[in-house]
Amino acid sequence: MSNQINPTIVAAAELHATLASLKAEGYDFLEVLTGVDWGEEGLGVVYSLTKTATGEMTHVKSVCADKDNPYLDSACDLWAVAGIYEREAYDFYGIKFLNNPDCRRVFLREDWIGFPFRKDYDESQNPEFFLESEPISDKAVCFTLAEDGKVKKTETPIFGKNDYVVNIGPQHPSTHGVLHFRTRLDGETVTKIDAHMGYIHRGIEKLSEGYAYPQCLALTDRMDYLGAMQTRHALCMCVEQALGIEVSDRVQVIRTIMDELQRIDSHLLFFSCLAQDLGATTAFLYGFRDREEILKIFEKTCGGRLILNYNMIGGVAYDLHPDFVKDVHRLIDEVIPHGLKEYHEIFTGNVIFQTRAKGVGVLSKDDVISYGCTGGTGRASGWHCDLRKLRPYAAYDRVKFNEITFEEGDSMARYMVRMKEIEESCSIIRQLIDNIPEGSIQEKMKPFIKVPEGTYYSAVEGSRGILGVYLESKGDKTPYRLHYRSTGLPLVNVMDKACCGHLLADLITIGGTIDYIIPDVDR
Amino acid sequence: MENKSYFSGLFSGIKSLCTGLKVTGRELFTKKVTERYPENRKNNTVSERFRGVLAMPHNENNEHKCVGCGICEMNCPNGTIKVESEMVEVDGKKKKQLVRYIYDHGSCIYCMLCTRSCPHGAITFQPEFESAVFSREALVKQLNKPGSKCAEKPAPARPAVAPKPATTADVTTPVAPAAPESDDKVAKLVAAAKKAADNAAAAKVAAEEAAAKAAAAPEDADLKAAADEAAAKAAKLAIVADNVAKKVAEAQA
Amino acid sequence: MFDFNIVTQWLDTLLMSFLPAWATVLIECVLVALAIITLYAVFAIVMIYMERKVCAWFQCRLGPDRVGPWGLLQVFCDVLKMMTKEIVNFRKTDQLLHRAAPFLVVTASMVTFSCLPWNKGAQIIDFNVGVFFFLAISSIGVVGILLAGWSANNKYSLIGAMRSGAQIISYELSIGMIMLAMICLTGTMSFSEICQQQENLGWNIIRGHVPAVLCFILYLIAGNAECNRGPFDMPEAESELTAGYHTEYSGMDFGYYYLAEYMNLFICAGIAATIFLGGWAAPLIPDWEMWNEIMLYVPGFVWFLMKVFFVLMLLLWERWTFPRLRIDQLLNLEWKYMLPMTMALLVVMAICVSFGFIWN
Repeated sequence: MSNQINPTIVAAAELHATLASLKAEGYDFLEVLTGVDWGEEGLGVVYSLTKTATGEMTHVKSVCADKDNPYLDSACDLWAVAGIYEREAYDFYGIKFLNNPDCRRVFLREDWIGFPFRKDYDESQNPEFFLESEPISDKAVCFTLAEDGKVKKTETPIFGKNDYVVNIGPQHPSTHGVLHFRTRLDGETVTKIDAHMGYIHRGIEKLSEGYAYPQCLALTDRMDYLGAMQTRHALCMCVEQALGIEVSDRVQVIRTIMDELQRIDSHLLFFSCLAQDLGATTAFLYGFRDREEILKIFEKTCGGRLILNYNMIGGVAYDLHPDFVKDVHRLIDEVIPHGLKEYHEIFTGNVIFQTRAKGVGVLSKDDVISYGCTGGTGRASGWHCDLRKLRPYAAYDRVKFNEITFEEGDSMARYMVRMKEIEESCSIIRQLIDNIPEGSIQEKMKPFIKVPEGTYYSAVEGSRGILGVYLESKGDKTPYRLHYRSTGLPLVNVMDKACCGHLLADLITIGGTIDYIIPDVDR
Repeated sequence: MENKSYFSGLFSGIKSLCTGLKVTGRELFTKKVTERYPENRKNNTVSERFRGVLAMPHNENNEHKCVGCGICEMNCPNGTIKVESEMVEVDGKKKKQLVRYIYDHGSCIYCMLCTRSCPHGAITFQPEFESAVFSREALVKQLNKPGSKCAEKPAPARPAVAPKPATTADVTTPVAPAAPESDDKVAKLVAAAKKAADNAAAAKVAAEEAAAKAAAAPEDADLKAAADEAAAKAAKLAIVADNVAKKVAEAQA
Repeated sequence: MFDFNIVTQWLDTLLMSFLPAWATVLIECVLVALAIITLYAVFAIVMIYMERKVCAWFQCRLGPDRVGPWGLLQVFCDVLKMMTKEIVNFRKTDQLLHRAAPFLVVTASMVTFSCLPWNKGAQIIDFNVGVFFFLAISSIGVVGILLAGWSANNKYSLIGAMRSGAQIISYELSIGMIMLAMICLTGTMSFSEICQQQENLGWNIIRGHVPAVLCFILYLIAGNAECNRGPFDMPEAESELTAGYHTEYSGMDFGYYYLAEYMNLFICAGIAATIFLGGWAAPLIPDWEMWNEIMLYVPGFVWFLMKVFFVLMLLLWERWTFPRLRIDQLLNLEWKYMLPMTMALLVVMAICVSFGFIWN
């Protein structure tokens, strides 16, 4: 099975019309938008669109006409998520998206000079270390095309002069990482949120362009640290499929089990942190107590607890530990069922939590598709977006499980999706654990892995949504462009939509249930 | 609660609160899960695969397996490893020799690319986790011990293992130990077995002597205890000798 | 039962014998003040240690056990740390109010603390409208909190203080109603008389049976809310407002809030023990001569403390189980549930008392 994609090339002038017609055709979900610098060919973007009904994908490539002043039409009137993706592309490539109402930088500092992902970027323009504190822009930037064909820049203030703006973050107990929400309050009611990201952006995608493929793997675990297995799985799968390597059945099953263990791990942490955010410290510690058992299993087999480094291109790093099957049985037959019962008794059923979560932060199905909120957040609104069902990979086609969906789309539904998914993950593991096929754990690889020239895209279902890997290769031992579809970025982007009109305390509940992880947003 | 009536909502709410209280009430008396570190450091073990710190195992003759090829250095994404080597002349042939193997623990990201790419299995990760020191400089370590050298291999049947740059080295496949090495291992094991058997025999003789002494003076409690101890030691050594012998048999097979 | 009046009277006559009246009063005042401050500090330390240990046990942990045997010295170290920490002043705070606020809080808490009847005759503030005085003086604390929130010139603090104001003022209503119901039963507002009565006639929670038990439970809830403790800790709400009204305090200024919070909890438990569980009165059972004899050997303050710590256990249990309420839920709970219930209870209690449906 090849994952090579051949994006349709569309002229910049017809881009918006093409996208609109594709959307009308049923490609209603913008899965990922990747900015690329093709060197001589110019700067441009690749839109990856998905039909939510069938999971079918199409890719559209558009190159800016003018390399010195690159601009394209914004697609944020078609998909809400395009707004934040375009900001990312603008930030790194300097492609101006016309009519995007808020085309500021998103990860880099406002005073950054140049666009670092361009191949001709000159590092010396910026100091090695910034010694002044970072200026935060108070003005949204909008680019429009004036009548004389020039790009015009208009600035509108984000907050009014008399607005009561509270900073939630960057150092705040419940932002789940270094994230900064500027929150406008009316009394206790949230009326606007402006998310400010990039505090821990490490430029993993840029770094990867200078790394050999096995070296790129070392960074994947550091993005979504609660989806380390899955992120690494995605990159390994992408490279393997691009090389045309079939990994053994044993590896496929091991990867499936590990992905599910990671999902349980992530969801337990989700429960714990949500409880903690809502002030139920005891429930928080019960969750961590049980999560420890999973970490011990990981430690025995992978040698790491959080940074697992387990998947390798063509296989896995170690064979399973002799105790693995026994430990996993203990986990899924004793620890998790006992824990879940306790969580439901102490937290789920609690009238305080029920009233705080029900009917709060409702996102409709159209909203989640438009905002690209995959994973539990999407499924809580009734969107069947589980890649394990939609485009099965690894060993997911041979197990039976239910895709948990709810219709309510509120915090309670988002919470319940995760709690039920723990049970489903246990069921998947139970079906696989007793008959892991024999076989090689590592395919023979060439000393230097060179992916043949082309563009590739693979995606897995991460702990909190679709995790895609867009890989463009020129046939070298390093990727030409490696882009990850972050699961968290659309989730942070939807916070404004979900929280407006709710109380400040609800912002915490909604943030907790939407379940974003910042290192994954700030790659 | 909106869709329930005032009283049913009130009562179901109280019930849910009581269920919660029941859980915490029960947990008050369950076993606590706190790890009492460092009191438990004797029996608190981490997995043997745990990546704590990079190490270069040396054998009893202060020999390691590193030939100074620098493949690990090339593979490291972080510049954590610096291999300093020199060319020396051995029997008229030029040969690369390791001088210093510098490892900066402070910048290691434990990705295992070095250990996996090493063609000689010279470096491993040790499950050592107490790495805290007071300065960054103390994290920079030399892994080869002073005065150590590369283990000489008995005249190799295939000299192809000689170090070359990464072009011939396999980056991702773990390398099976070379054939001469395993021969070497068997020889070592046989020697160890012989030593263990000798030890066991000596201990047995000592135990018999002690027992005889104890029998001569039945009142002397000290002598009796000594005899018991000697007997126990002899038994233990006999078991060790047995185990080693078994291993030898396996290795030879 | 041992009457502490003997000691105080002896001291008084001793001092009067060689000192003028004003000097006697002065010396006595100083002694009493010292006693209050010492007890206040000692119990705060005990409470903090207890809270940390008990909460750990609820959470499958061991709690502090590194400093001293069983971690006994942990709290002392914390206090020492707090006292030696720098007090940070910000340019844009209202300096006077900012510095005054913690004192208001801690003073209110100390004065209420001195209302507690420790033993027969061992009560610092005792007069015929004791309950009324207690209610009045405990409300001063909220002024300190509001001032702290306002003067800090910090948005988190302001929101926290506003929440606190709304919360404390609301729940004071319930507490007042419950107190009224119980005064209805006892017929007196003096704490010492309430205790004496309970020694003679049996504990109020038994005398007043159903309405008194309900009052006790509601009092625990409302008292917890008064103390700004979880699940009613919205004014602090560390996951929303980082630390609420005391965000900008450091060192001992913060320490006062910390102290006052724990002591308010102690006072809340102490009042519950006094009004419902007999205060220093031993559990006497009519016709069980032997039992009563033994019970009377135990000094009153031991009984009092046992009861207080029992109530504290209940409060801790509940605090470490529930998630935090949201501000609208909090006000709903008070105005839609607690207040009507306490009003109804007052009526029920009045009916019980007037028709003689009480056990004496």
